[in-house]
Amino acid sequence: MKTETAALGPKKVTGSVVARPNRTASVQTYIPEIAKGLGITMKHFFQNTKEMAFGQRPDPVTEGISHGINTVSYPEQKRPYPARFRGVHRLTHRDDGSPRCVACLCCSTACPAQCIHIEAGEYPEGDPKRGYERFPKRFVIDELRCIFCGFCVEACPCDAIRMDTGVHAAPYDSREQFIFEKDILMGFPGRDGSQLTANPRHEPGESSHPGVDREKH
Amino acid sequence: MPLTLLTFLLFVLKAFVVIMFAMNVAVLLTWADRRQGAMIQDRVGPNRAVAWIPTIAAQVLAVAPALAAVAGIAFVVVKLVPDPEVKGERAMLFAQLGILFTWLTGVFIAGRVQIRGVQNSFDAWLLSFGDPRRIFYAGLAAHFIALFVGVGLSGSAYGEQIRDLGYGGGAGLLIFAILSGAIYAAYVIRNEPRYGLRLVGLLHPAADGLKSIFKEDFIPPNADKFLHSLAPFISFFPALVVMGVIPFGDTLCFTLKDGHLGDLMSFVPRSGVCVEGAVNLQVVSLDVGLLYFFALAGTGIVGAALAGWASDNKYSLLGGVRAASQMVSYEVTMGLTLVGAVMVYGTLRVDEMIRWQSEHAWGIFVQPAAFFLFFTAAVAESKRIPFDIPEGESEIVAGYFTEYSGMKFAMFFFAEYIAVVTSSGLMSALFLGGWDLPFLHRDGLHVVLGDTVIFEQVLPHLLVVVVGALGFVLKTVTLCWLQLMIRWTLPRFRYDQLMRLGWRKLLPASLGNVLATGLIVLTIASAGPAVGKFMDLLADYTKALVALAGFGGFIYFVVFLVKPVHKKKSLASTSAQFAAAAGGTRSVRMGA
Repeated sequence: MKTETAALGPKKVTGSVVARPNRTASVQTYIPEIAKGLGITMKHFFQNTKEMAFGQRPDPVTEGISHGINTVSYPEQKRPYPARFRGVHRLTHRDDGSPRCVACLCCSTACPAQCIHIEAGEYPEGDPKRGYERFPKRFVIDELRCIFCGFCVEACPCDAIRMDTGVHAAPYDSREQFIFEKDILMGFPGRDGSQLTANPRHEPGESSHPGVDREKH
Repeated sequence: MPLTLLTFLLFVLKAFVVIMFAMNVAVLLTWADRRQGAMIQDRVGPNRAVAWIPTIAAQVLAVAPALAAVAGIAFVVVKLVPDPEVKGERAMLFAQLGILFTWLTGVFIAGRVQIRGVQNSFDAWLLSFGDPRRIFYAGLAAHFIALFVGVGLSGSAYGEQIRDLGYGGGAGLLIFAILSGAIYAAYVIRNEPRYGLRLVGLLHPAADGLKSIFKEDFIPPNADKFLHSLAPFISFFPALVVMGVIPFGDTLCFTLKDGHLGDLMSFVPRSGVCVEGAVNLQVVSLDVGLLYFFALAGTGIVGAALAGWASDNKYSLLGGVRAASQMVSYEVTMGLTLVGAVMVYGTLRVDEMIRWQSEHAWGIFVQPAAFFLFFTAAVAESKRIPFDIPEGESEIVAGYFTEYSGMKFAMFFFAEYIAVVTSSGLMSALFLGGWDLPFLHRDGLHVVLGDTVIFEQVLPHLLVVVVGALGFVLKTVTLCWLQLMIRWTLPRFRYDQLMRLGWRKLLPASLGNVLATGLIVLTIASAGPAVGKFMDLLADYTKALVALAGFGGFIYFVVFLVKPVHKKKSLASTSAQFAAAAGGTRSVRMGA
């Protein structure tokens, strides 16, 4: 059997020949092209200057696809974060102003950065909630350790922790200031300005409470 | 005039004016260059510099100049009541000025209200007219109505009443407009704890200068310390002093009182320059004017070369050598280009050249090729983009000023911008008629084409000179602006391309220009009076062309300003929806 050997020498180049760009007289003399270029820069300059002076600049967010200067002049102007942006955490409230959190530790268990610390407390004897749920004596999030993955929000069975504040973590000047205690976390409202959530909550003992009832069963 | 204390003081004053002009324009250019470059690229640029002043100081700053202006106007109206013959003209002037300032104030306030929103009932009332353009159109209509009423009724029975009404009413309107604008500005900021003086970012160069002064001045250990410190001054000084031979205004004529300067003449004849009592608006009037320019501009090379040599840095040395070779090459073209212009004007004195252009046609029409060659060479001479290979950031760090810091570094840049100003000043003097404006002669306005007289109006001497000086400033600043535009448009040349352009294109072209100019000058000189008369007519038409182009450009600019802008709104993103719900990005406050 005959073996095929590669031909010696350089490999044959395949492809089509690309013609040199046809340099017209106007390109070669350079001057008309300069004039064209100057025309373009002047157009942008005058248009942008006029829009700036007359306050006709496009809104950088709502009209950002228009021609003109679309720079966001931070901090006078701020681009609002999108609706699903994961910002600083907040602890949602019940109707009576207490946290919805039942101290189940799901969030701190789910947290890959281990930045959530909860100390659970029992309701006092005789409280209708005692035995059904606990409450967080302390609820601490280290916003510097947090990687803003949102797992805590996913893990929460009570819709008690949310990241819908639309606020980024502010730059403080010491590490202690990044450790948000319960009162700080409960202070943030959501995007809509409310401390509550849209999900209804049914307290133990209420007729609408869907779970197993200690008294009836 | 003999050298007396007065002439010496005048010399110092003129030198002060010229140096202040060149340096201030240069300082502004350092900022305008960046700001303008940003605007071209759809960015905002350096506009954040702000000086916080107490609100009361800002209110005083707003109201005090207005009060001074009002006092001046009131003085002119009450004390300097003109003769009945010229009272009509004065009344028309007041009426037009009053209308102008009224609609300007209205448009300005309405525009600000549109930007920042309605704050008080006056804002709401002003916006009830709708678009601020309507105020402008109403003002335009008022201008024409006043003009027609004034001209149409000047001879009629009501002429005198109309004239007095225009005189008093126009001045009243002017005072009202100025005062109300200033008081409104002071009223709007009354509740602000402090006022940020921004001046569209004009404070930026001042901040930059302060910063440069306080920065560390580093000299490399092995550098030649004396030469290293000397170089910035050597490149700075010649760039500044060449302004000395460029006249910034027509000669002022004073009467003579026993050998001393008396009062300024009210009116002067059209032809001839007053021999005695003349004050040239030029620091030194040299017979060798243009040669002085080249002699000193050539010295600037030494500064760059010295900086490169004394820095003890290979990149600096390369930059210095590049700068020297480039500037020497283009110096040749610059000189030879102007030979043609000197042949036509027949003088080396810059003021005489402007007078020739005033009598005939501007240099740009007489020597068009020379203008473009000189412009190119001047840009190359100032070592700016597209000819900035001595600096060459991408190849040799920063070229000859690599090892400079602080104010010495700033002085190189300052020298570069002053070179831009001086070369623009020289170009406007040599090719754009300097202080000369079309049809504006020493004794007034004469719109004359050949033998056809279209319009004539005698104007006071001082007014003509001041308007001419303003014209010179306008031309110079426009040419500076053009150089900045070129900087932001063109890419950098390669070194061999630069040399080829200089020696093989511009130099032969300038020699050809000399040859062609010589032939044409000889032909016209030997052709007889008929051709000379025709050339004069052509020269008048170039003046008309300039005037029409200027007028047309102004109209086009106004139309451009009032043209509405259409924006494309897109609420595809939730960010945009949030911003729209908050009434625009400006008013969005993040978080609670």
